[in-house]
Amino acid sequence: MAGHQNHLKALKDGVANLDFEGVQRAAEDAMREGVPPVRAIAEGLAAGLAVVGEKFERREYFLSELVVAAEVMKTGMSVIQPYLKGEGVKARGKVVLATVRGDYHDIGKSLVATLLSVNGFDVIDLGVDVPAETVVEAVLENRPQILGLSALLTVTMPEMERVISGLRAAGLRGRVRVIVGGSPVTEEFAEKIGADYRAADAVDGINKCMEWVGSTGGVESG
Amino acid sequence: MTYRERILTTLHGKRADKVPFVHLWRRLQTGEAEREARNRCMGVSWQRPCYVQSMPHVEIVERRGPSVGQSTTLVEYHTPVGTVTERLKKEPGVGEWKAQRSWRDVTPWAVERRIKKPEDYDVVRFMVEDTVYKADYFPIEQAKGWLGGDGIIYANLPHSPTQMLMIDWVGTPTFYIHYARHRDKVEELYRALDRRYEEIYRIAAESPADAVMFGDNLDGVLVNPNLFQRYFMPTYEKCARIVHEQGKPLASHFDGRLGILKDLIAKCPQDIIEAFHPPPMGDLPVREALDLWKDKVILIGFPGSVFSLGTDAVRKYMLDLLRSVIPGDRIGVEASTENLVSDEHLLVLSGILEKATLPLSNESISKIEHFLE
Repeated sequence: MAGHQNHLKALKDGVANLDFEGVQRAAEDAMREGVPPVRAIAEGLAAGLAVVGEKFERREYFLSELVVAAEVMKTGMSVIQPYLKGEGVKARGKVVLATVRGDYHDIGKSLVATLLSVNGFDVIDLGVDVPAETVVEAVLENRPQILGLSALLTVTMPEMERVISGLRAAGLRGRVRVIVGGSPVTEEFAEKIGADYRAADAVDGINKCMEWVGSTGGVESG
Repeated sequence: MTYRERILTTLHGKRADKVPFVHLWRRLQTGEAEREARNRCMGVSWQRPCYVQSMPHVEIVERRGPSVGQSTTLVEYHTPVGTVTERLKKEPGVGEWKAQRSWRDVTPWAVERRIKKPEDYDVVRFMVEDTVYKADYFPIEQAKGWLGGDGIIYANLPHSPTQMLMIDWVGTPTFYIHYARHRDKVEELYRALDRRYEEIYRIAAESPADAVMFGDNLDGVLVNPNLFQRYFMPTYEKCARIVHEQGKPLASHFDGRLGILKDLIAKCPQDIIEAFHPPPMGDLPVREALDLWKDKVILIGFPGSVFSLGTDAVRKYMLDLLRSVIPGDRIGVEASTENLVSDEHLLVLSGILEKATLPLSNESISKIEHFLE
């Protein structure tokens, strides 16, 4: 089993050091040597991601490194996934994301989608310029625990309120937590429109989502 | 002082008669409130193009219609080394009135950018190297003639090379990944842009504009200090050298969160930090920025989120902001850099700033406050 430890360390270090080739090689070696795939993910890749998070907290890494780490982790996952054979990996939770109608800013929302996904969330990204009705329908259809709304213009911020009103009208507001973000969105505004939280940035948003669903998460993935 | 003299005096780092208040020309509504605000104190800041460009060896095909989507344009760039495509989404109004802006004054938005995979970098690099820039000062001369003493003109530059990649051509998340995996491709394109842009820095510097604007939409959360130091600062140095040779000040549109970059910005050669957003939208108070950037003028972009809180909040924010910058040197206020401002908010801001005589003091600001009550 000491060999397993070496493989797990290689996976962890690969993610922590943002090493695409290293993680690919470590994942292939681990699967070939019989490391249980769920262990490879939890004690290898996810442990590496935790190191990346710590480096981010210490400002050794920045948002760019978080995004790259997510991509490195995906590289490892693509090798390990076929070996899972029904060992269900439970999604931490389900999130619907949208940039509201009239707003085409996608950077913040896409970053949130990437980071949520790599942190074990099932993410349904509705894209940009999404009408309130479409968001409400997606919540009805997908039953997420969390709805994330983004706006980068003060003229499109009122669309967030329309979405929340739509959720109320559809009887869905009590079933989903709403997190809002985007540079003009303030805590006062979030409170005024009845959102549950205003994320200061992508990482703050991810942390709040993790806090809400807890460590055990909710729904079964796919 | 005319509004123009007031703005220019401040931009050159000297004390004017009042804190300058400007509105961006393309954000400016026309009508009663605008006239009132202009009569009180509001000047105009106008960014104008200074060159035209063409790519003699690139065939550009635009497609619209059922296969692409009614509100989408697919643009194909065919070059001798390959083809790249981008998709632009347009809001109602684009192409139906002035230029390519929608009823809400928004340009078509890239929903699919031209660089998607490593091979695309070579195609785009060909396009960059094929581009011919030609000075055309008509827009600046025309604007100068129209404005007279009412405002100032910037010669407008595009995003700096790295922002061009991050914002316009690759998209920030994909840029991060390409930068990690294909740095040679990214850097080759960066170097090509950096080299070619020298021509437009020169064109802008030699223009009849009052100052040169390096629009960069900088945000420290997206552009980390490593990227900033390695790719942005050398570009700014090069541009500033050329612009300063012609005696013009260089401004940059830094409208994001700048806290993490504040010490590096202090070392940058820009004379003017334009669209600076203090909290709650930005993360750096104006006072701290003024103390850190002792050789720079700060044009404060009034935070749009405060407008959403109503006129009382706008009044209080503006007065508090003036108190925080006493004696008020090296600052100006922009009505908004990100969207249209309501008539009532324009009147609140102009009502305060017409009385913001320099040097500011607690007493003078209290007088303004009492006058407004």
